[in-house]
Amino acid sequence: MCFTQNFWSLLISGLANGFVYALIALGYTLVYGVLQLINFAHSEVFMSGGFAGLFLMDHLVGKGHVPSGLTSVGLVLAGTIVAALAGGLVAYILERVAYRPLRRRHAPQLAYLISAIGMSFFLFSLAGKEFGRDSASVPQTFTNGTVFHVFGAGVQTYYLLVAGAAIIMLVGLDRLIGATRLGQGIRAVAQDADTASLMGVNIDRIIALTFIVGGLLGGAAGFLFGIGNGVVYTMGFTPGIKAFTAAVLGGIGNVRGAVLGGLLLGVCENVPIGCVDTSWRDVIAFGILVLVLLVRPTGILGERLGRSA
Amino acid sequence: MSADALGAVGGRARLPGGLTRAYAIATGTDAKRLYSSLVLGLVLALMTGPAGSVTAPTSGIHHALLAPRVFGFLAFGLVVWLLLTFSGRVGPRLRGVRQRVAAPARAVTAHRTVRWSWYAVLLAALILVPRLLTGAYQQLLVDQIGIYVLLALGLNIVIGFAGLLDLGYIAFFAVGAYTTAYFTGSLPAKPPFEVTPFLCFPLGVLFAMLAGVILGAPTLRLRGDYLAIVTLGFGEIIYDVANNLKQTGGPQGVAKTVPHFVFGDYHWKLANLPYWYLLLGILVAVVIGVSRLENSRTGRAWTAIREDEVAAEASGIPALRYKVMAFAFGASTSGFAGVLFASKNGFFDPGVFTEQISILILVLVIFGGMGSIWGTIVGAAVLQFLPGYFRISGSSVFQPQDIYIYVGFLLIIMMIFRPQGLIPSRRRAREIGMAEAGIGSADALAAPGSAP
Amino acid sequence: MTRKRSLSTVVAVAAVATLALTACGSSKSAKTTTSSSGKTYTIAYQGPLSGGNAQLGLNMVYAVKLAINQANSGTSQFGKLPFTLKYTQQDDQGSATQAPTAAQAIIGNSNVVAVVGPAFSGATKASGALYAQANLATVSPSATAPDLANNGWGNFFRVVADDNAQGPADAQYLAKVVKAKNVYVIDDASAYGSGLASAFKGAAGSNNLTIESETAPGTTQCQAGQGNVQQYDALATKIKSSGAQAVFYAGYYCDFALLTKAVRAAGYQGTLMSDDGSNDPKYISQAGASVAEGALTSCACSVLASSPAAQAFSTQFKALAGFAAGTYSAEAYDSANAIIDVMKKLSSSGDAITRGAIVNGLKSVDFKGLTKEVKFQSNGNIAGTAVYVSKVENGQLVQLGLISDLVKQ
Repeated sequence: MCFTQNFWSLLISGLANGFVYALIALGYTLVYGVLQLINFAHSEVFMSGGFAGLFLMDHLVGKGHVPSGLTSVGLVLAGTIVAALAGGLVAYILERVAYRPLRRRHAPQLAYLISAIGMSFFLFSLAGKEFGRDSASVPQTFTNGTVFHVFGAGVQTYYLLVAGAAIIMLVGLDRLIGATRLGQGIRAVAQDADTASLMGVNIDRIIALTFIVGGLLGGAAGFLFGIGNGVVYTMGFTPGIKAFTAAVLGGIGNVRGAVLGGLLLGVCENVPIGCVDTSWRDVIAFGILVLVLLVRPTGILGERLGRSA
Repeated sequence: MSADALGAVGGRARLPGGLTRAYAIATGTDAKRLYSSLVLGLVLALMTGPAGSVTAPTSGIHHALLAPRVFGFLAFGLVVWLLLTFSGRVGPRLRGVRQRVAAPARAVTAHRTVRWSWYAVLLAALILVPRLLTGAYQQLLVDQIGIYVLLALGLNIVIGFAGLLDLGYIAFFAVGAYTTAYFTGSLPAKPPFEVTPFLCFPLGVLFAMLAGVILGAPTLRLRGDYLAIVTLGFGEIIYDVANNLKQTGGPQGVAKTVPHFVFGDYHWKLANLPYWYLLLGILVAVVIGVSRLENSRTGRAWTAIREDEVAAEASGIPALRYKVMAFAFGASTSGFAGVLFASKNGFFDPGVFTEQISILILVLVIFGGMGSIWGTIVGAAVLQFLPGYFRISGSSVFQPQDIYIYVGFLLIIMMIFRPQGLIPSRRRAREIGMAEAGIGSADALAAPGSAP
Repeated sequence: MTRKRSLSTVVAVAAVATLALTACGSSKSAKTTTSSSGKTYTIAYQGPLSGGNAQLGLNMVYAVKLAINQANSGTSQFGKLPFTLKYTQQDDQGSATQAPTAAQAIIGNSNVVAVVGPAFSGATKASGALYAQANLATVSPSATAPDLANNGWGNFFRVVADDNAQGPADAQYLAKVVKAKNVYVIDDASAYGSGLASAFKGAAGSNNLTIESETAPGTTQCQAGQGNVQQYDALATKIKSSGAQAVFYAGYYCDFALLTKAVRAAGYQGTLMSDDGSNDPKYISQAGASVAEGALTSCACSVLASSPAAQAFSTQFKALAGFAAGTYSAEAYDSANAIIDVMKKLSSSGDAITRGAIVNGLKSVDFKGLTKEVKFQSNGNIAGTAVYVSKVENGQLVQLGLISDLVKQ
């Protein structure tokens, strides 16, 4: 009863969350593909996108009446782009500061993880210091409401916005990896970094660009998430772990897997809310993580960026 | 960035000799190091500068960087650069001095009686000095330093000895604490039988160890970085469950004050010193136990697994069993600390067991030196003492809310300059050196056979 | 390679050392002694100054500082005082682990005569016994757990009404005035929110309310706990399909704002009500004026903006802190002033200002504070727990009146 009552509504809002997870998960998956490392600080890329979007909207919209029509579209577009750029920039800094010096020295893998954790703590605490520690709402850029119904469940403007923006970016990424020189480079490094290097691929450049591409997506996700859920300096933590779960669920290192995993996780953690308290949502998500790792650690679509993307 | 721009120019057009040389200098190693040093100065200026707010997001940055104070930090960056660049000449000499001093010192400390008398002096100091401290520092010593040294020692077994990254370590502490609260009847859920808090030590250790084995046995088969995430998830689950369940008191914490220890006729009360002596006894036992463990068959097996799991398995070491064992040892130490904490503090809520604390303990171990017992102890003591000292003394320089900025900064700097920690174990330092030279890996994180 | 690195180590250590030295140096210079007439006493503040709840702590810190500055300059309601006040603070991160150390540091400072805080209920539970042993008065601006008053500590006071005052009044209002039959009760999984929600649920039976309840952990800044952002869509769906006529949210304004946005976007039309944690103009700015329209908040205090004294407080607070007064700022100001009031009476009657004398004095204190009449019951709870209700009208929080009056009409 409780399961079926709100099933469609929960499925739809779960899918919207899932798109956000998918965008973040791609950052993990791309970096994992080329470095075989979990970029622990990716959650702060997400956070920085949220703040960039917030400040831009604060500046452009301000208080008072809610914009509509083309203005809304333009604002959301501008916010997404600026957030993506901020995310890309932070991801690049991350690579330069926390990863490249260690790579130069062939540091043990543990060192990368720890330096990424350090970067994560540094970035979110610094954001808390510079931008205040209270959560803030992004000014309304459009009037949210139900657009149409699916099986009696309302589909909101916000969900459509998130899904639309995410799909555009995901398709773009798929093309980027499949059909450009950069994509070839990323795939080559993911398959075999040493050989790629011998073939004249500039590994440092490819790795930096991979971080930036992941950062663009993560930053945009931060803005899309922030519109609906507010922006706060610690906002990256939970979505970050969940997106990682999504990446593992789909098969880490696998681009399409990350998208699938994100959507699946978004739905799987949301639908049971019909029967239990909202407070168990995170437990469900992390429970899925533990289960997946125990049962099928390579994920649904399997690992490897090089082959299946 | 300016170097790149120059590079673009220099690459395309033919420049006069002077400019080419200028370009070469501007993109040389020394210059690059200068830029990083100056950026370091700016970052420090930002970290220590005033705070901003969400309505004026640039005000903090503005006051931190566009103020006269920035020149001090730039000068500091310059000094760092000078040291980095020109220390090459002083370095070998310094090292020579260090070796000349260290070699006889090591010869002396290696002597059994000398070493034991050092230990005796240290122990006497640890017994006597706390008596001279004020209440706040005694509390700091027990609550923040003693318990955390114990936790760090436990985590050191997992991460330092066996090379397994556990990001949910505080969960076992929570298990110990909640076990104590449960069996002393302090939770809303009533136990089948109530016991005195002292008897919670074996119970807490048992349950924490069980949790460690249950979590470890399946997950330790996985690659090391997966383990990190699973333990992270597990830590979150424990926190959420403690927060959501009515039986644990939820966010309100324990329902009734957890009673203090009673041993025979002796009652522990609010005063800190008795707890300190109890803790000191435990610490001494743990240090002796752990150092014996390190050089035992088990310890060597852990080292072998950490250095090369495939080779270890090939030479007949049941890797999984030893990994689970390390996990269980770490978990039980954490559980033990949890029991002590619960009974001493009397009250706790799930907010005590957040993810940040897990990371904090990890930082303590890394700062001191993974795999090194003395490193862990000193690292944990120093890092726990400093913020406590700044808090108690009310220093206005380090704003307490900024503590995690410094923690993060410290981690990054450590990983760049001194990944082996403050007082590294000799073996660990050698492993890192070897990994840097491209021979073997220094932890159990890498998948068997995959290059980082 | 190795050579370079070992030297970098030296540099890193030198860097840290330099920083530490600067720190020590400036901390010494920061300690300036105030030369003024009479004796100097210190009022301490204990609360979260780091970690996820730092902002709540800062809201209170500057209010206490403001009260002390005004007392010292003679511009407060107490006029010129024959003694000088100093301020000190201890950070407990709002955590039960850190609280005892913070308390010991305050107790160990013999100049401290009274404490504003501890801010959080958990921290109070962990450090209350220590303060009781030292017989040092603690006046909390924000610890609302009902059982805090039942410990028999004797030195415990709070200027904020406990959950048992507010929850039942809110239930009564929703039943009698809003005429709701079914109420969806949500708490934010903080000690405060869950306590308030259970007080509300406890009064449901006597008001013939049918309750559906749920816990939705709040966003970092608004609760003691984890760094996450709650997504309210799923909850909004459940609320809409539950058919409840009203929603009661026990938590703080930022999450109430997010919840409001989510339920309105989901098309829910019922009444939304929250507590004093949401009784903040920031609620309206965060949810958006049109979305927040009609939402109710309750508080065992009257709305700040209504009196000139409160307006003066807001301006001066902003000038001192650099940010606007927020949740619990006014309560902290009242707590500090309650202590100063007692000290003034003691000195004018020629009694020595000691810790014990202040504890005794607070038991009979009675003065007009910003938020309410400050007067304590024998167990330390604030006397007269009049609960007011406010409504968002045209983007403003408008006070409707006392709940006890409104339900009679």
